[in-house]
Formats: sequence, structure tokens, C-alpha cells
Amino acid sequence: MRPDLVITGLGVIASIGQGKTAFARALLNGESAFAVMQRPGRQRESAYLGAEIGEFTFAPSLGPQVRRAGSLSAHAALVVLQEAWDEARLFEVEPHRIGLVIGGSNLQQRELVQTHETYRDRTEFLRPTYGLSFMDSDLCGFCTAQFGIRGLAFTVGGASASGQLAIIQAALAVLTNQVDVCVALGALTDLSYWECQGLRALGAMGSDRFATEPARACRPFDRDHDGFIFGESCGAVVIESPQSSERRRLEPYAKLRGWGLALDGNRNPDPSLDGEIRAIRGALAAAEWPVETIDYVNPHGTGSVIGDETEISALRACGLNSAYLNATKSIIGHGLSAAGAVEVIATLLQMKRGSLHPTLNLLHPIDPALNWVRDTSIERQIERALTLSIGFGGINTALCLERYSA
Amino acid sequence: MNRTEVLTLIARYTREVIPGLDAHSFTGSDKLVDLGANSVDRAEIAMLVQESLGLVVPRVELFGPKNIGELADLFLKKLDAA
Repeated sequence: MRPDLVITGLGVIASIGQGKTAFARALLNGESAFAVMQRPGRQRESAYLGAEIGEFTFAPSLGPQVRRAGSLSAHAALVVLQEAWDEARLFEVEPHRIGLVIGGSNLQQRELVQTHETYRDRTEFLRPTYGLSFMDSDLCGFCTAQFGIRGLAFTVGGASASGQLAIIQAALAVLTNQVDVCVALGALTDLSYWECQGLRALGAMGSDRFATEPARACRPFDRDHDGFIFGESCGAVVIESPQSSERRRLEPYAKLRGWGLALDGNRNPDPSLDGEIRAIRGALAAAEWPVETIDYVNPHGTGSVIGDETEISALRACGLNSAYLNATKSIIGHGLSAAGAVEVIATLLQMKRGSLHPTLNLLHPIDPALNWVRDTSIERQIERALTLSIGFGGINTALCLERYSA
Repeated sequence: MNRTEVLTLIARYTREVIPGLDAHSFTGSDKLVDLGANSVDRAEIAMLVQESLGLVVPRVELFGPKNIGELADLFLKKLDAA
């Protein structure tokens, strides 16, 4: 079935900026913000690298009560949802016909660890709100209360493919007429030092080679890659039918033409060439796109040695030898649950501006014959894009996005 | 600790949990509900005061007081008994 869906609103925050304008500008300029992470609860006799968000700017409607009560993940969700909400004019849509799917699980680990450490020896004084905030679905509570969403809201987990999984579930909610409009939100994963250590111990998170050179550590597809570098981010994507969009006279960013979702039957972090190929081919088949019509691929590209190599093999096996390629994570780091949604946003903003952002630290591509955007951004009009996500536990997703023309 | 000090403590944490009360002049007859506190906010305020006083009051007893003056009296009674 070829879905008929459009994307009408976007909201984004990352270390490089809040909002689409700042985010796109920094992406195209290749401005990154990697450092030894500073947020309380991120380090313990450690120096984990990452890219953290600076000060938030809250709309007046996001009042002091929400700012006080909300966690970092909640703040990020609320500001990106506000941006997407305003752009897609969701205030004109009947609240019972609006849905929200939040991608990600175990999102607020740092806040939980902070709470545990504060109250370890006096649990009788634990804040009552912990009974709410330890659940990821608390973010659904914050968002639906703030925006009056009455259609549906739930969370979905697919490790680093959670953001794309949320988009797929939001698309299904619209296609099955559960709601007219559904927002997919890739939530901010707030790592504590425990998760950083676990991901390091697993060999997934870098970097040993560039431990003292944060700006050089995040290098997807480069010969000297040695693991992903974390980067806080969060993104919201508004999905609806063309008819619903026309009722509010919106000009969509793109059409969501199809997707692929493939499982490897694998509990471990290692990727599967077969799974990635099936996700890509499934998406292309759903979109009814010949592979040679794809102009641009936004790959998962984390900087993991085996992950990057497997993804290149999958692209080649599918005949994606000539499409432009860059790696958004080289600039903003790996947002884990947020990554899939934020990279769809990066793809759509590049599509809208007719420019492709550079790939930082790509000095020696592991496959130099592919069509990389390397040192600087290039002007190129993209009509058809493929975006990929791959998560621990053997989940692979691919989305087909086509530039909107009426 | 006297009643005024306990009331001041309640006012301080009520202002923390319910923003926008900076200019409000608290009195013993104020009801947290009327100041905009929902049930979770009231539980949060009561816990912050207990933490500050190092005092644990069973949840069921916190349902009794009808205003912050009576809440202060409950905390004072518990402090005396402690």
C-alpha cells in the first residue's frame, strides 16, 4: 500500500541550536558543540564526550509551573512540540482528532539517578511527583495537558530507531483514521553516567582514540571512527493526510511515501546486513520508487566501526551507489531515541533549502567512491530522500520522503 | 519553631510549587486549592515542608487540615510530640 501522507510541521532542538532556523544554519555551516559533558549526573570519575543543549527558550505559553515540574526530556518535548504545533496550526484542529506518538524508552535516566542519590538515605521524603516522573509516558502527560491533545498518545520503544518508529506509528494512526493529525516525537534520551558507562563497556560509545579531542571524536564513516558520540536532541514531526493539510491551507514540507521495518531476531547491538537491506527494499517497494530515483540518503551512520561498514554494504547491495550521502550525527552526535525523528527533520530542512550539509571529520571515508558531502555544504535540489535508523535488538527502519509539490 | 515560622515555610514551598504567588500575602485562612494547587501539588508542598522540618506525617493525617493555618498547627503538634 502506498501511503498518501504529508508532513506539515517540524520542531527541533539540539546542541547546535533550538528551532529550525538555528538548527539548519548550524548544520549547513557544520558547527558542532562536542565537549566533555558537564550536565550534573553525566560523569563520575569519567570524561565522557558528548554534545549538550544550552539554555532553553520557552514560549510564554510554557509557563513557570511546567518549567519547574518538567525534566530535561519534558522541556525538550514541550519546546519542539510548541514549534511544530504553531507551524502546522494544530490549534485549528479538533483536539479529539489529534494524536501524539513519543519515540523512546527509559528516557529520563539521569533525572532518576539524581533523585535516587538525593533521597537514598531518606526515602520517606521522596517527592510525590516521582510516582509520575519515573514513567516515560509522563511526557505524554505533560504534552497532552499543555496542548489539549485528546485523540491518542503513547510511547513506542525501538532503541535508536525509536524516532522513526514513532513516525511509522503516527503515520499508521492517520492512515487507520484514528486521528486526522498525529505528531511523532523523538524524545530526548537523558543519559546518566551509568548508561554512558554501559554503552562504553559494550564498545558502542566512543571515543578512546580522540578522548582528549572532543571536536574530532565523532566521525561516522571515517577510517578512524571508534564508536558513537552522544548528543542531546529532540524533534517533532506533524503527519496528516493531504486533505487534512488542505483544510488549513498549509504547504507541506514533503510526502511520506513509504517505509520499511525489518527485525533481525537478534537481542544484541550488532547490525545485520540482511535486516538493513530488507528495511531499505521494503521502503522502496512501498513507495514504488526505482532505486536510481533516490537523490539523497540520510544514513544512520553513528561512527560505530561495524555499524558504519554494514550500512555501507547495505546501501551498495541495494544499488544506492550514486545518491548523495552525509552524516547528521557527525554534527549533532547520536540522540539515541531522538535520532530518527531529528534526522528526518534534518533531511526535510535540507530539502527545503536545496542544500546538503557537510560531514564533519570525514577525512578518509571507509568507502571513498560513494557520493559524500564532505567538507562544506553543497547546493543541490533533492526530490527523493531515504532516511535510515538502526537500533539495538535488531531493529531496522527506512523512510521515503518526497519533496512536496501540489 | 513557632506557628509563624511554620506558616512562612509553607508559604515558601507553595510559592516554589505554584509560580505566580510572589505578590500574594499568605494568611492562615488560605486554602491551597484556592491558590491553584492540585492534589499532586498539595502532596509536593506538604512533603517539601516535612523534608525541611525533618518530620514525617502519615498521608492520611494530611487530609485533615482545611487551610494552611490548620496545616501549620498539625506540623507544630507533630514537632512537639517528636
